[in-house]
Amino acid sequence: MTIRHPGASWRGALAAALVVTICIGGIGTSGDARAEYADVVINNYSDAAGMRPVIFPHWFHRIRFRCKVCHADLGFQFKAGGNEINMVKIIDGQFCGACHNGDIAWSVENCNLCHSGKPGTPTQVHESTIQKLAIQPQAGGQQ
Amino acid sequence: MNRTLRIPALALAILGCAPFGAAHAQNDKGKAIYDKVCVACHSAGIAGAPKLGDAKAWEPRIKAGIDALYESALKGKAPAMPAKGGATDVPDADIKAAVDYMVAAAKDGAPAAAATAPAGPAAQAAPATPTAPRPAALSFNRLLKPASKRNPPPPEDGIHDPDNDGTHALQPPLQVFESLPRSNAGNRVDWVKALDNNLIGPRWDRTDPAAAPVVMDLNIVREVKGSMPDVVYPHKQHTAWLDCSNCHPQIFIPQKGANQISMAAILLGQKCGVCHGKVAFPVSECRICHSKKKNVMPVKNAQAN
Ligand code: HEC
Ligand code: HEC
Ligand code: HEC
Ligand code: HEC
Ligand code: HEC
Ligand code: HEC
Ligand code: HEC
Repeated sequence: MTIRHPGASWRGALAAALVVTICIGGIGTSGDARAEYADVVINNYSDAAGMRPVIFPHWFHRIRFRCKVCHADLGFQFKAGGNEINMVKIIDGQFCGACHNGDIAWSVENCNLCHSGKPGTPTQVHESTIQKLAIQPQAGGQQ
Repeated sequence: MNRTLRIPALALAILGCAPFGAAHAQNDKGKAIYDKVCVACHSAGIAGAPKLGDAKAWEPRIKAGIDALYESALKGKAPAMPAKGGATDVPDADIKAAVDYMVAAAKDGAPAAAATAPAGPAAQAAPATPTAPRPAALSFNRLLKPASKRNPPPPEDGIHDPDNDGTHALQPPLQVFESLPRSNAGNRVDWVKALDNNLIGPRWDRTDPAAAPVVMDLNIVREVKGSMPDVVYPHKQHTAWLDCSNCHPQIFIPQKGANQISMAAILLGQKCGVCHGKVAFPVSECRICHSKKKNVMPVKNAQAN
């Protein structure tokens, strides 16, 4: 019933893809990633605008909302940094602003609760499969 | 297939890429400065200076954030820490590298022995004290993340800025997770159980707390060649959280067997890996997906092929 990939080809592809992702992604500035699983750093514009990057905690929000609310109803694509979120959209009630409006959740003037990342931290999902594979060499690299 | 040979090659390739290389060069510089300047006080703990590799002494300081430590090192700290350790001609970046080196030593304890021993004659330093933690090279787990580093509070998680007041207002995950069923990976919370047992009540609608999902109980069995048990994909647990449109048709064509799925794709964040290994339980939990034993009667509520 299943169509299978021809043998070994994916392993090379996987290795190459991982190396590329890791080198470009840069693993962040901390080099010491042990953030909570699924925390998303969003930093398309923040650094350039002199704001700390935004950190979105999935664990906190999924206790309060199903994935469907954000990823179907509010239109968040499944891609860190893939939604071109900015402050105008937020104050107009899109994305984070659909809830952070002083009605469902605390409103936008609490800049530092969202903009809480270390400056320079790149856009990424923390503790993702690819990141976890990449972290091992850090421990091995002490000697 | 030479599967076993690829893994070291991959690890080497990762080690070789720029960010890691840079980190190493940085640390060598830091060690050099430490050995020349800072060792005078920080090796033996002169005047209450926190000793190199002494995790206890460094912990509260590290909590204040790396920027605070840089500040102390560059500008000095009363009563006895002189600006730049007295070496005012050393560039700021090098002093920072020395701080990084000292912070890293406090975190893993490794360079403590290595650094104090060869520095011997230059410093009035005592050899590594008996309380010094064992070198990391001898630690029991070399790669596994210790339990104490799981679910860290935001100011200590490496991505939140501890200098930001908002960071300290955020909720630490463990405060909540302690009351939820635990699992072995990811957030270390069994989210399916937490929902089934009504321990959490995430809304299905942004504003209406009473709205409920239409849960669809349809299992799809995907046969796997080789020794791994077959995969049972359950619609039930997914439709409790997600909308059909989250998967159909963008990730999966809604037709049994119509999608080519492989572990390689999943590891790279495609197919099931769009969520598993990012937000839903991670790929390490093989048996949650590979759950159908082979060569036995089909599981009752699973659809045979
Ligand atoms: C509910 C969360 C949230 C709050 C509160 C918030 N922001 Fe943002 N902000 C974001 C997100 C998400 C982005 C997009 C980040 C990126 O891609 O770098 C962003 C981007 C920005 C940007 C860069 C893009 C642009 O629109 O110019 C600035 C500047 C900014 N925020 C300032 C602020 C200020 C000032 C406040 C407080 C008055 C604030 N933000 C409050 C979530 C928030
Ligand atoms: C409160 C809103 C909200 C909820 C609820 C939510 N998410 Fe997200 N999700 C986000 C935001 C915001 C992002 C980052 C988007 C960006 O950076 O533009 C994201 C990103 C993602 C990504 C992309 C990661 C990547 O590969 O870059 C995945 C996958 C994801 N979420 C899955 C889920 C799942 C599964 C659930 C339910 C268990 C869920 N989300 C619940 C808001 C939410
Ligand atoms: C003359 C002794 C001396 C020298 C030399 C010295 N330190 Fe210190 N250092 C101290 C003392 C004492 C403290 C404790 C200060 C306190 O917390 O009251 C200290 C504390 C520190 C701290 C922690 C500051 C904080 O905010 O908690 C850092 C970081 C530090 N030193 C870095 C360095 C670096 C880097 C060098 C070398 C370039 C160096 N020190 C050289 C005596 C010294
Ligand atoms: C579907 C509604 C919803 C959306 C969309 C949403 N949030 Fe939230 N968020 C909440 C609620 C509800 C809270 C809890 C508010 C309270 O404590 O009063 C919250 C709290 C938070 C917190 C504080 C967590 C803590 O530890 O207390 C942060 C940070 C946050 N949101 C960031 C974001 C960012 C960034 C975005 C957009 C990328 C976003 N949120 C989108 C509903 C939402
Ligand atoms: C998390 C992702 C996901 C969600 C959400 C989801 N599905 Fe599916 N669906 C799948 C997968 C995976 C398959 C199997 C495809 C395959 O075998 O190639 C499937 C198969 C199907 C099939 C084909 C069954 C068959 O026997 O041929 C139908 C019909 C279907 N889904 C309907 C739905 C409906 C209706 C919903 C919403 C109530 C839904 N799905 C939600 C992932 C999902
Ligand atoms: C759109 C996101 C998404 C996709 C795609 C997805 N899942 Fe899931 N899956 C979830 C979420 C969310 C849960 C709830 C548990 C959690 O978050 O850890 C879940 C739960 C499960 C469970 C139930 C675990 C239990 O404890 O009962 C299984 C099994 C599973 N997924 C297998 C798969 C397989 C196999 C695929 C690919 C065919 C897949 N999933 C694709 C989001 C997804
Ligand atoms: C999120 C669900 C999920 C998890 C977790 C998971 N697998 Fe898979 N696995 C699949 C699916 C789906 C397939 C494809 C089955 C098919 O061919 O239809 C698969 C296929 C495989 C295959 C067959 C070869 C291939 O690449 O397609 C092997 C071997 C395998 N998995 C091993 C593992 C191991 C080992 C683990 C644990 C480290 C694991 N899997 C974890 C879902 C999962």
